Amino acid sequence: MRILIVEDEPDLLRSLAQALREEGYAVDTAGNGEDGLFNAESYDYDAIVLDVMLPKLDGWELLKRLRKAKRTPVLMLTARDQPRDRVRGLDTGADDYVVKPFDLPELFARLRALIRRSANQTTNVIEIGVVKIDTAARNVSREDKPVELTAREYSLVEFLARHRGEVVTRTQLYEHLFDENESSLSNLLDVHVSNVRRKLGADFITTRRGHGYCIE
Amino acid sequence: MLDVPVAMIFKSIKWRLQLWYGLILVLVLAGFGFTAYQLERGRQMRRIDDELQRRVEVIAAALRPPPPRGPDIEGQPFGAPPPDQSLDEAPPRPSAHPPVIFRLPAQAAGLFGPSDPNNFYFLILRDGKEFAGSTNQPNRTVIQSLRNSLISVNIPSQFPGSKAKPPPPSVIGEYRDLCRPLPSGDIIWVGCSMAPELQELNVTALKLAGIGGIILLLGLAGGWWLAGRALRPIAEISSAATKISAGDLSQRIDVAETESELGRLAAVLNSTFARLETAFAQQRQFTADAAHELRTPVSVMLTQTQTVLSRERAAAEYREAVEVCQRSAQRLRRLIESLLELARLDAGQETLKRLRFNLAGTVGDCAEQLEPIANQHNVKILSELTPVEISGDTERLAQVITNLLANAIQYSQPGGEVRVKLEAQPGFASLAVTDTGRGISSEDRPHVFERFYRGDKSRTTSTGNAGLGLAISKAIVEAHGGTISVSSQPGTGTTFILTLPIV
Repeated sequence: MRILIVEDEPDLLRSLAQALREEGYAVDTAGNGEDGLFNAESYDYDAIVLDVMLPKLDGWELLKRLRKAKRTPVLMLTARDQPRDRVRGLDTGADDYVVKPFDLPELFARLRALIRRSANQTTNVIEIGVVKIDTAARNVSREDKPVELTAREYSLVEFLARHRGEVVTRTQLYEHLFDENESSLSNLLDVHVSNVRRKLGADFITTRRGHGYCIE
Repeated sequence: MLDVPVAMIFKSIKWRLQLWYGLILVLVLAGFGFTAYQLERGRQMRRIDDELQRRVEVIAAALRPPPPRGPDIEGQPFGAPPPDQSLDEAPPRPSAHPPVIFRLPAQAAGLFGPSDPNNFYFLILRDGKEFAGSTNQPNRTVIQSLRNSLISVNIPSQFPGSKAKPPPPSVIGEYRDLCRPLPSGDIIWVGCSMAPELQELNVTALKLAGIGGIILLLGLAGGWWLAGRALRPIAEISSAATKISAGDLSQRIDVAETESELGRLAAVLNSTFARLETAFAQQRQFTADAAHELRTPVSVMLTQTQTVLSRERAAAEYREAVEVCQRSAQRLRRLIESLLELARLDAGQETLKRLRFNLAGTVGDCAEQLEPIANQHNVKILSELTPVEISGDTERLAQVITNLLANAIQYSQPGGEVRVKLEAQPGFASLAVTDTGRGISSEDRPHVFERFYRGDKSRTTSTGNAGLGLAISKAIVEAHGGTISVSSQPGTGTTFILTLPIV
């Protein structure tokens, strides 16, 4: 899962990015509205955390322009707590609205809900045969026995599970699992896939040669 | 239980107006009624008196010695005296006059008797004795008392031949009587009952009272309506004021007549309400902005601590987190200090230590202190300072000057310059701080001294500036009786001009 944070307060941006990376997300950051819009239009993020007060281009305007091109779920982050501000945010196309100062666990839960809704899922648990994926607790079990996965491996499983039945290209996987700062070696993905197969069963992920990967 | 409504009635202007109005109306109506009654009564009395006078004349004419042609005037004895009544058929008395049987002329007989509603009667006294009279005189006791009073009081002074005026008609009970002494010594006494007139006057009085009552009621109703109408704007004012005091500051009084006294009052109140609303809106905005400014550092601290505490960290990570928290805390501290300073300046509690000092020295010191920052930004400070003595709080004014200089340095392009010019004008000192920055757009210019206002609508976190610096500067300068203004050419630079009175 790859997330974009647009926030002009450097300390907040840094600690939010750190917190989300530790949650297993791939995180891109932007310090102003223009960079934020450029990023948001360039990649298919799974969610965007967007501050309202931004230099160069404010959050409202960014959202308005983004909505012309993309339906990426957007969580507005703002210090404005007036009901009319919330209404304006939601009406402009924001999918959720969190007022500063916020609690990190709540922000995480709202992000999970956003991503889940955008994948048209209603519960946090995805079942694929004998494998159960709990997207809230971020753990995976096979035949009710917990399976230890690294954060990156878990993200791979979750992303493929959310796109179950679809062929997911290697580019898509790179875009959603790694952020722009990571020097992604092309065989890093193969390593993660083979590790997952070893832990969850060889046929859990099928390879479509020349296309990508798929969970049937 | 009972005194509450009564007290309310006396406190209500409408009720008091109504009471006074009613009282005045009652007095006026009573005056009119009394006058009308008296006029009517006078008219009736005059009519009766005229009638009495006429009858007296008739009798007097009849009593005059008959013309020599013959004693008998064709006539008839008045009335038919009942057998037991011997008043008018008095026996012949020993007298100088020959006994004469008094007869009224035929045409005068109809003037007396019960046929007339006033029931006129007469009595003729000769030598203090009853000589003749009509049969319809009131009952004896009344007559007796009348006669006694007549004889004892009136007659002696009005003796025959006297030139004095005849006595005026007198009223006894329902009777009105007129007596007339004749030169011959006879006394004619004519009276009548006023019963019909009195009854008529009673009816008139009742009518007057009725009409007066109706007018009073109409008047009171009209007065109530008028008072209500006149006081309606006050009710509207009061209801609007009540809503405003309940918190709905957008309420206004509906002013229909702007020229009337209450209309002008309403207009004044409306403008007061508008000012109140603006002040409240500014206060609300200020509070919201302050809360907004406080939220961001708190968010940073919360996010940072929650992230760091979520698992075991290396010492360096803890150190970094604590540093972030410290930065946020410093920012909060600066913000709180600024807010408190503004609050004190607003309340007028900030006591200025007024001393005479050379402003040029202070400006020079400030410029010197900011030299390292200017060098960092690669900005030159060019000073042109004329010594000028002013009286004020050195520390506070230095704060203003430092703020202006720091802004100028911050917004100047690298390689640019900041010009500081202090001049002595007649009556005031003028300090101009000009930068070579990107300038302030014309839409931002009127707002730069507003609290929390920032040109680029976002936090300039690098300086920790919350947008209060210029607002505080303005408050300090104004506390000194000075002014601060800005002019700017977008693209070329901005000039802040500060004037301080030379006291």
